[in-house]
Amino acid sequence: MNVADGLPVPVRTKRSPGRGQAAGRKRAGYLFVGLYVALLLLFGVVPTGYALYLSLTRPGGKWAGLADFLNTGHDYRFLPAFEHIAVYLLVWLVVLVVLVLFLALMLHGGVRRTVPFFRFLLYMPGALAGSASVLVWLFMLDPPLSPWRFVESLFHLSSLPQVVLPDHLPFVFAVIAFWTGAGGWIVVMNGALNNISDEVIDSARIDGANAWQLAFSIKLPLIKKWVVYMVILAFATGTQLFVEPTLVSTASFGEVSQFWSPNQLAYYMAFTEANFNGAAAISVDLLVVCLMVAALLVFRSKFFEIE
Amino acid sequence: MAAAAGLALCLGAVAGTGISSATTRASSSSSGKLTIWTDSARLPMVKLYAKDHPKVKVDIVTFDGGANGDGSVESKIALFNRVGHGWPDIIFSEEANDVQRLAAPQFDNFASVLNKGLVSTSVLKNYATGALAPCMVGGKLECLRNDMAFDVLWVNVPLMKKWGYSVPQTWQQWQAIGMGVAKNHPGYIVGTAGDSFDDSIYLQAAQCPVNDLINSYTLLDDPSSPNCTRMGKLLDPLVADKSLPVVYSLASTFGKQYASKTLMLIGPAWYSGAIFEGSGSEFNSPKGTWAAYPPLAWGSPSAKAWTGDVGGGLWIMSSHAADPKLAASAMTWLATSTPSQNLSQGYPGYVPAAKSWVAQQDAGHFFASPLAPTFSKAVGEVWPGFAESPWDAYGLWAANALPNLASGASFSSQIGVIGTQLSNAAQSAGFQVVTKP
Repeated sequence: MNVADGLPVPVRTKRSPGRGQAAGRKRAGYLFVGLYVALLLLFGVVPTGYALYLSLTRPGGKWAGLADFLNTGHDYRFLPAFEHIAVYLLVWLVVLVVLVLFLALMLHGGVRRTVPFFRFLLYMPGALAGSASVLVWLFMLDPPLSPWRFVESLFHLSSLPQVVLPDHLPFVFAVIAFWTGAGGWIVVMNGALNNISDEVIDSARIDGANAWQLAFSIKLPLIKKWVVYMVILAFATGTQLFVEPTLVSTASFGEVSQFWSPNQLAYYMAFTEANFNGAAAISVDLLVVCLMVAALLVFRSKFFEIE
Repeated sequence: MAAAAGLALCLGAVAGTGISSATTRASSSSSGKLTIWTDSARLPMVKLYAKDHPKVKVDIVTFDGGANGDGSVESKIALFNRVGHGWPDIIFSEEANDVQRLAAPQFDNFASVLNKGLVSTSVLKNYATGALAPCMVGGKLECLRNDMAFDVLWVNVPLMKKWGYSVPQTWQQWQAIGMGVAKNHPGYIVGTAGDSFDDSIYLQAAQCPVNDLINSYTLLDDPSSPNCTRMGKLLDPLVADKSLPVVYSLASTFGKQYASKTLMLIGPAWYSGAIFEGSGSEFNSPKGTWAAYPPLAWGSPSAKAWTGDVGGGLWIMSSHAADPKLAASAMTWLATSTPSQNLSQGYPGYVPAAKSWVAQQDAGHFFASPLAPTFSKAVGEVWPGFAESPWDAYGLWAANALPNLASGASFSSQIGVIGTQLSNAAQSAGFQVVTKP
């Protein structure tokens, strides 16, 4: 027990940390960042540099200029792969942004007691690791096996060859990607919404904002940067689509092409045709597209500006 | 290539294990060290080799065998070539076109040339006609065939008798039965049209020249040839009336839907284990239900019948093998010796081994009539004009023609589609494409 109980306790004024403490913190900071930088260098920057080197050379290391880019660009599989991924991205990004925001806003506007339950429920499909959840979807899609065959019969789909027709694929992959990936984003958006101070919400309510106005005019603008962040990352993952078409290709005995997406084409070139330089060129194409879109979004949304 | 063929081969029944003592004694004196890569279906053969050759230190590595054209053989070789070491001495590949793929310059002559002294001509001449065609790269033999995968007519004998049909000998008779079945027994089928290898089952049998490698740099691709269009016209009514449905015959759902609704199937020899016999097969049919009949002829029963083939595994030897003689003798033992081939899951390409193998199969009396007469006839009837090529002819059919068939297009209309795809693939691989021989 404190002997000073009952006496006014002197308020301890906050002191700036001593030199030793500051240096310690700095060291800890460097340590954390250093680990990240080391891994980034090893598994991000060096492979990217190597891909750049490969894409500009011929087998054996001779300078090739842009030949690898031109050759792969003229390959008969190149344009279809990029078309596929463009349609898929369009479908997926729209579905992702609309549904994630809708569900996150619903969750945030919901009854406080039920929020953790629904947050968990929405997150759950995403907790299943990537390829395992795609396997689950293979069963869901195959009409003779699917528990949802009555839904598929509404669309006159009675066999897997009909389900995985080329026109359906962007939607099929978007549905799979949404259920395997959106849960995490709903939780992130929910976290972002929770950061909005109660005072802001209360003042809006006092000013007469209804639930829609609150969501669209107050909450959404405040989490805009999180949405941009989601779109940048989702665009990058979307352009690199690989597991979904590969597994569906196996399950459909090849009805979905082995080079449906650019990433699959790069893999096929590297590992079946031993054309590492061509594969690297396609990887660099993807990198450039992703960087351009990310840069556009970052500058347009003033992503790194601190208010 | 051989999409799904590998898968099916894995499902096949494993035959007995009689060991011929003469072969054992002759070969077990060799010694040295070998690394052999095999898929799980061929593992018993490699294990038997190791057991039979105690002086040879065998390092067995199991891999997927390159199943369904996933390129695992090529990917590993390409990486070993980059680092300059690590190659295995012998590889079993499930993909009948792997040697053609490995012939591309970037693989740096990985496969050993066998017909320049490594394997004796006395061995090679015992192979079935055309069995070594997938191994030939411009006159050089670069692999040994393990098993053959010719197509035959599979018939549900009791059902055929019950409905009063006689077993067809020509494509036209088969078509007539198909149309009759659609009319009188709707829901029953006389074959399927939803597989990646249908270009081989139907177009190869019709001698349709869409994937004919006339030399090592030229593809003959003429989808408008009368040989192609005649098969399209024959199949169109059957696809339309659903007696030839667009379903995958190797999907787990095929048996569930069609085990009791199939009158006939046209397909490879390995359907025996993949579709009909045993608990791992699609149908798991009762004994005495199915029988194999010879490939269908065109027009008249007396016309020369040609058929397609779907896969068949290859033994490939590395040109980097430290002891080429030992590796060649081991590979010859695996591919041709009776003890090894008795364990094969498909009809051996090596004729003396095939006789023993098929006798073993027939000893079980599972099929309504012995397989031997049909198989020994069909093995020589594979049309050589549908080549194993560096590109995946099955994958291209599956990805481009099959979706259209599934959405209601006619078979005829897809022959041009596959023609264009094969032409694109050949040009992309550096081949020239011609439409007339």
